[in-house]
Amino acid sequence: MAGIARITPGLSASLCRTQSVPAVTTLVRTNTTQAPKQEKSTYGPLKDQDRIFTNLYGRYDFKLKGAMARGSWYKTKEIIEKGHDWILKETVTSGLRGRGGAGFPTGMKWGFMNKPSDGRPKYLVVNADEGEPGTCKDREIMRHDPHKLIEGCLVAGKAMHARAAYIYIRGEFYNEASNLQIAINEAYNAGLIGKNACNSGYDFDVFVHRGAGAYICGEETALIESLEGKQGKPRLKPPFPADVGVFGCPTTVSNVETVAVAPDICRRGGEWFASFGRDRNRGTKLFNISGHVNNPTTVEEEMSIPLRDLIERHAGGVIGGWDNLLAVIPGGSSTPLIPKEVCDDVLMDFDDLIRTQTGLGTAAVIVMNKSADIVRCIARLIDFYEHESCGQCTPCREGVTWMAKVMHRFQTGNAQQDEIDMLYELSKQIEGHTICALGDGAAWPVQGLIRHFRPELERRMDEFDKKRATSN
Amino acid sequence: MSLFQKIGNIGKIFRQNGGLVGSYLKLFRTDDLKWGTLVGEDKYGNKYFQNDYYFMGRNRWVEYPLSVGHDYDASQVPPEWHRWLQYIADEPPSQLPLPKRKWMADHTENLSGTERCYVPYSTTRPKVEAWVPPKNNL
Amino acid sequence: MKGMKVKTDSPVTRKAREGVMEFLLVNHPLDCPICDQGGECDLQDQSMAFGSDRSRFTDNAFTGKRAVEDKNIGPLIKTIMTRCIHCTRCIRFASEVAGVDDLGTSGRGSDMQVGTYVEKMFKSELSGNVIDLCPVGALTSKPYAFTTRPWETRRIESIDVMDAVGSNIVVSMRTNEVMRILPRLNEDINEEWISDKSRFAYDGLKRQRLTTPFVRNNSGELVATDWETALFDIAQRVKDANPATIAGVAGGQADLEAMVCLKDMINRLGSEVLCTEEAFPMINSGTDFRSNYVMNTTIAGIEESDLVFLVGTNPRLEGSLVNARIRKSWVHNEMCVVLLGAPVDLSYDYQYLGDSFSVLKEIADGSHPIAKALADADKPMIILGSDAIQHNNGSLILDTVKRIAKNTKKSLNHPDWKVFNVLHRNASQVGALDMGYKPGMDSLKCDKPSLLFLLGADADKLNNDDLHGNAGVIYIGSHGDAGAQMADVVLPAAAYTEKDAMYVNTEGRAQVGRQAVSPPGMARHDWKIIRALSEILGVSLPYDKLSDVRGRLAEISPTFDRPGRVEETGFDNVSDDVTIDKITHTGATAPVVPALLKLRDFYMTDPISRSSLTMAKCVQAYDEAEANPYSKPEAI
Repeated sequence: MAGIARITPGLSASLCRTQSVPAVTTLVRTNTTQAPKQEKSTYGPLKDQDRIFTNLYGRYDFKLKGAMARGSWYKTKEIIEKGHDWILKETVTSGLRGRGGAGFPTGMKWGFMNKPSDGRPKYLVVNADEGEPGTCKDREIMRHDPHKLIEGCLVAGKAMHARAAYIYIRGEFYNEASNLQIAINEAYNAGLIGKNACNSGYDFDVFVHRGAGAYICGEETALIESLEGKQGKPRLKPPFPADVGVFGCPTTVSNVETVAVAPDICRRGGEWFASFGRDRNRGTKLFNISGHVNNPTTVEEEMSIPLRDLIERHAGGVIGGWDNLLAVIPGGSSTPLIPKEVCDDVLMDFDDLIRTQTGLGTAAVIVMNKSADIVRCIARLIDFYEHESCGQCTPCREGVTWMAKVMHRFQTGNAQQDEIDMLYELSKQIEGHTICALGDGAAWPVQGLIRHFRPELERRMDEFDKKRATSN
Repeated sequence: MSLFQKIGNIGKIFRQNGGLVGSYLKLFRTDDLKWGTLVGEDKYGNKYFQNDYYFMGRNRWVEYPLSVGHDYDASQVPPEWHRWLQYIADEPPSQLPLPKRKWMADHTENLSGTERCYVPYSTTRPKVEAWVPPKNNL
Repeated sequence: MKGMKVKTDSPVTRKAREGVMEFLLVNHPLDCPICDQGGECDLQDQSMAFGSDRSRFTDNAFTGKRAVEDKNIGPLIKTIMTRCIHCTRCIRFASEVAGVDDLGTSGRGSDMQVGTYVEKMFKSELSGNVIDLCPVGALTSKPYAFTTRPWETRRIESIDVMDAVGSNIVVSMRTNEVMRILPRLNEDINEEWISDKSRFAYDGLKRQRLTTPFVRNNSGELVATDWETALFDIAQRVKDANPATIAGVAGGQADLEAMVCLKDMINRLGSEVLCTEEAFPMINSGTDFRSNYVMNTTIAGIEESDLVFLVGTNPRLEGSLVNARIRKSWVHNEMCVVLLGAPVDLSYDYQYLGDSFSVLKEIADGSHPIAKALADADKPMIILGSDAIQHNNGSLILDTVKRIAKNTKKSLNHPDWKVFNVLHRNASQVGALDMGYKPGMDSLKCDKPSLLFLLGADADKLNNDDLHGNAGVIYIGSHGDAGAQMADVVLPAAAYTEKDAMYVNTEGRAQVGRQAVSPPGMARHDWKIIRALSEILGVSLPYDKLSDVRGRLAEISPTFDRPGRVEETGFDNVSDDVTIDKITHTGATAPVVPALLKLRDFYMTDPISRSSLTMAKCVQAYDEAEANPYSKPEAI
């Protein structure tokens, strides 16, 4: 459930403010020597030389030889030898935000791990449990460019003095896990990881752990529980994983994409990465476009690219033309949908999507044109959440089941109009009252539906009533 | 009713009740003297009489056997005769016997106040089961 | 987290609780009128506080509520799983406190089920506590099912006598019947748990009871009689007996008041032969110092310890809550446990040293690695099970363990820390020893008593060969068990729920139990029986009221005067140096193995639990579960 790690808009804004402090100081310092940087006003398309994931479509060799030819493992030793402070500084400068959905500033998160050691080892856990419906970015990295991830583990691990990295890969990703394991074996044999990784004197191991196919195991604490061999049920926080994580040791859980871009940020410099996208939404990003488009695809693009550009340039446009668009779920199944009016000019980044009451999530764009039964689509999503709820918190366990029951009645219109308000209130009763964000992720699609498609719901109910009246 | 008839009745009463002494004893025992036709007798020795000369309510009566002495009461009448006595039916059971079923219990008089009277007892199990010493110990 | 502020009654919190409450009731059946938890249900309370007066769950008409199949987890706990709200407290209790990973969840989301996965018996000596823990009526007590409502019962605070732990209990009573027994919070002893025997053996209080006095007639049969006949019969026997050989034996559940009355009466008759059923070797200073025979570190003190050395005991069955405390320390304090005895399942890992006495000797000599571990430990504890010292070699074992304790103390950083502990099994033992009863019946057997008073002594450790030729036996007790069967006169007395009485637990802590119900039939309180008897025997005891008896107890020992407190034992350094008996090594010793090995042995250990049908069912269910672990033990 990479897309829904909970972060309230207010909190994320405040975090971003603190995160932007170094950037501001940088700006002040550079002011004295060179002209102030010009902020861009148009975003995308990304030039080919700026792409990080150059084998996204599997056209080339995914193994070590091919990866090195594409620039992986280039001067990794030097990066490591520059030390963790330098890596962290570059990450902070790059403005990289977590790619798993919550968008927590990565530099800051990795910085939490640099408390004085109390003797416990530290671990990096890579969240490769990509279960969010609509999302398929991590699997492309893992099956076509696994060395990016492994190198990223090493660099991120160095940044937080981790002893080892655990890559928790989704159980259904069999081929991806195989490719990843091949790559890890190659890296071990080449001395790139393991004892004295890259001859830098740093010992670092990488393990692959295959999950068993539970969506909830993508939540960071549930992932940790699952990694420890228990039932994947989220833990109450605090203590945060940075204090007590996997096997009771300080742990950072990061998304595959976040980790995989780290080496290139270090190689090319944080400034380079920060040159893409708007302020606070820096970098490049893998976008997955699925649904009613002519060419569903995964593509690396600049952040803040307009949604319409993204769909029309890379996915061949909406089936039936842009005017045939009904709604878009912009960030994986757990983000609220936006109707066409909003889609016309929204930018694909964290802040602009929050402005339109949705979220970037994992940037999995699900496009629905007018042939889609929007209520049925959302009902199907709620079925998914009902099935995947771990059952630990009452609001999610009972509430999502209840919502699913109501949604299925809404689909046929077999309901009263005041139940729409009740459903909205129910979703509010679930949101924010659970340990993890699955409850929120289940509530948001419903809220989005009611916010934008209330007339459609009412129409169905009227129709149903009329049909019943005539049949009687 | 003429005087003769009345005297005739008195004569019948005396005759039926065993003369002057018998009538005195009957009066002593039942506070009443009547004559009537014997309708029947049940197995307990009760004799049933009828004389429609008397007004309805007094025209059917029972004479209890001498063996019960003064301890007679209405519950000594079995139900089938009770039926006739209380005008539920006109035919006495001697004429029209009621069907006798296997499950019909024998009639018993009301035993209240006697030694054999019913005393209620608890049907709940005792709260504490007492220990019963083993018999062939030692 | 530091500096965190938790608001428990803000509008937001209330709103959230209302929401959760509504969600909980979505799938909770509204069968409160037929639910045993009704009246003490957390969900009812929550619903009163945060619930709505009407339901918005209109889907009930379309799809209905969740229903879950009930599970059979043994003869003690009744499950109605549809009522389960998935709080998983029972699972956490089972795996964290009881140490039995029998319960768990299967399935996910609203399909989640709490259970044993494959239907089987929940085998734990603490299983009954999940009934208290369950906030709703999903887990209820099988023996208590549909008997009373909590508001109909009167609750009397009392003390449990099934083992020497002295758990604090609440006896729920209605219409002069014990309806159920619940634990009472006492952080020093039982925390908030009690063992299954304490909780469920109460139906034994209603069976096999002595309700009238009995006197044995000429043909050797016990015949029910009245008090006058029985007491005069005893008076005649006392007159015929040699006063110096009149003896008294205190059984495992005797209370302090009765024991002091019996002692005073027999002393006044001119005899000194008073002993307990349970033995304790009279080596060195014997029972002259309390530190020799109590659990010196107290039960709560286990949590301070970092190394526990168990000798010849199975604390899980002999003192279930002591074991729960050891497990708690083992989980949270990284305490080590070493066991010498039978390799029993203690619900935690321990280092097993075998059951041979020679290992114990090696430790005493310092040649065994454990000797060093004990010396290095910060606060080591040695817990000696009373069962290990019952037989002839008990004195040798006790002496060796005391030597180990003495050696360990030499290198101890904490001079106040007492290493040596005894875990008793009988509720009366420590009190009897405090009072001056001689432990064990060896001396009594030597004396061949001519008249014997048994105060609830049912352990069947005597036979007629031990007595003088035509000695009379007088049994004062509550149940018709071994003692009553061998007696010539039987006097019916009260069981522990039927009298105000004091007991001293294995820590040496005196506690007061309160009377919940009246004794059945003609049975009377033990001390009153003895007081009345003394009057007839012409040796009237100088106390007429319970407070007078308690005053007499306070004269004997100040510990009896301070119920609920545990007096620290002194002289534990001196006690080893005083010598009464010389120890003679009698060659090879038998293995140091306690009697209670399996959970099966736990259920029936005393007259009350032997009379209990519930406990009998537990034994039966255990046997069936052993024979076929995954079949249904019985129909629900």
